[in-house]
Amino acid sequence: MKERTIWEQIADSFRSRSIWMLHYCTGCGAMELPPTMTARFDMERFGITPMATPRQADIMLITGYLNTKTLRRVIYTYEQMADPKYVVGFGSCTINGGIYFDSYSTINRLDYYIPVDVYIAGCMPRPEAILEAFNYLMEKIRKGEADGWKRYKENYDWYKQNQIRSLGEVYVHDEFHE
Amino acid sequence: MVAAYKALFNLVLGFFLVLSLEGVGRKITARVQRRIGPPWYQNFIDVFKALSKHPFSNGWVFDFGVLMALGGAMATAMIVPMGSTTWTPFPNSDNFFVIMYLFAVGALGMAMGMVGSGNPWASIGVSRALTQMLGYELPYLIVISSTIFYYKTASIHKLVELQKNGWNLLVMPLGGIIAFISLMGMLGKKPFDISTAPAEIASGPMTELSGKYLGLLHIMHVFAMFVEVSLFVDVFLGGGNLGWYLVKFIVVWVLAVLISSVLPRFRIEQMLKFYWGVPLGLAFLNALFVLLGWTL
Amino acid sequence: MTSSMSNLVKILEGFNPFVEEIDEKEVKITISSDKVVAVLETLKSNGYSHLSLMTCIDWIDDNQLELVYILFSWKNGGKFLVSTRIDRNDPKFVTVKELWPVARFYEREIHEFFGVEFEGNDDMKPLFLELWDEKPPLRKDFDPRDYSRKKFPDRKYEKDVIKEAKIFRGEING
Repeated sequence: MKERTIWEQIADSFRSRSIWMLHYCTGCGAMELPPTMTARFDMERFGITPMATPRQADIMLITGYLNTKTLRRVIYTYEQMADPKYVVGFGSCTINGGIYFDSYSTINRLDYYIPVDVYIAGCMPRPEAILEAFNYLMEKIRKGEADGWKRYKENYDWYKQNQIRSLGEVYVHDEFHE
Repeated sequence: MVAAYKALFNLVLGFFLVLSLEGVGRKITARVQRRIGPPWYQNFIDVFKALSKHPFSNGWVFDFGVLMALGGAMATAMIVPMGSTTWTPFPNSDNFFVIMYLFAVGALGMAMGMVGSGNPWASIGVSRALTQMLGYELPYLIVISSTIFYYKTASIHKLVELQKNGWNLLVMPLGGIIAFISLMGMLGKKPFDISTAPAEIASGPMTELSGKYLGLLHIMHVFAMFVEVSLFVDVFLGGGNLGWYLVKFIVVWVLAVLISSVLPRFRIEQMLKFYWGVPLGLAFLNALFVLLGWTL
Repeated sequence: MTSSMSNLVKILEGFNPFVEEIDEKEVKITISSDKVVAVLETLKSNGYSHLSLMTCIDWIDDNQLELVYILFSWKNGGKFLVSTRIDRNDPKFVTVKELWPVARFYEREIHEFFGVEFEGNDDMKPLFLELWDEKPPLRKDFDPRDYSRKKFPDRKYEKDVIKEAKIFRGEING
């Protein structure tokens, strides 16, 4: 791994303490986020706050199943986010497809299409597991190991090829998008 | 030369004071909601992190708008007096109207840049913000006009000096309360955070802002809040040395945060009806009392 | 069957239906495909004016597709399931969009997932599936697992027994 300059180290330590998240709530993982945000577990004490738009966000939470239709929107959203950006995959559905691994429309593993920094195992992960994962992610960012956004740039052709293999075409042309 | 140092001190104090008070406000809100809340220096981390990111630009209008907003707010923050003539950087130009005009430069810069981003949410947010300005400025300006009529001066540091014997809040309590309600709207605190409603219009004007732009706009917001609260403290809570001024500033801030942490959000037309209803009527009543000389 | 529903069934006697009582307020009528529109019209004029669902079932062993129209009455809460069977190899039927405009979307959906053509309904753009390139996915001879393998690569697991045993014994931290 490349050595970081002192400025990058300082910036990384700031990034690890202030994580603005964009949650793409497709499934049951969305139910685990409110208790994580509110009084019981309170993720704001780590500087983690929800943001409304991809432009402002640092991490994207994929909380559940993605099918071909939603994966297109996730890729749109991911490419709209500003560097450095991180992705957290929730639950077995993003890891290997979960119980609907043989469905005609759900994708099986997320890291084929966009780089994932942290996976949380479970179906669905409890808030304790989510906080544990955020602590792990903060540690990774502080050490400069969470380099998914760099990997996406370096291996852009590979990711694009996978996306096109599964989706046909990433950009949609239909009555709702023109 | 001294004036320049004082103006610089204004900027530094405003930056550190308001950013740490924002963190304290988040902590207070968290305690009200029985959470632990972020540390008080969280907002410093947020701003510096935002400045460390790699943003997208949306054309030169957007870039220029953000810079104009920051410049306007900083220029206004430079000339605001802080509680006494000693801490007034430019004693000849701290007229209330000068401050209001300069303040509009920042707001207009923000409106221009955000509309320049081309996002529909941003346009809706800007139109909401300008409508809200229309709402709170009317009662606020009437109260300030009656204050200016009562003291026969529009210069802020002279107003501060004239309040040596009794705070303006005690002279015209009605006006003070109305100005505080308007201040809540200016700060964009909870019942009046219509322009940046994240659940409805995706944080409104800031929709397209990423990274450094967001950080710059956050700093602009910090200076704007410094100006707004300082004006209220100067005009209504009288003078004193810098320490007293800071105490008053913090008290006003904490009160606004406490009120905002227990209230939900107004809809846009409810906000206008609210401001142009009771507060505007009471502001006129206050002006009538001042005209008739029925002050305490 | 409530009395009003049995009266209605008597009116429909002329269409030669096979009547099946599912519940107190739910009756299934199976008829041949050329009489469906007439039965639907009769039911609609007798108060069953709400098309709450239109769906399709694939009976691959009989080589038939079953179309089901579920009609609901807001007057007495009764439900009529009008069902018919069409040929699976050449699935064609007439549209009911003149009776219920909402049927346009149900027909689009059925066309998308079962491949049924509806004569008279020209708007057959894809509704849910984007860039679909296989046979209609809800037909029973479509193998979703095969499709998923082909399109969505799976994660390969390499079983390392010795490492697992070490984790199990607590020698290393997995």
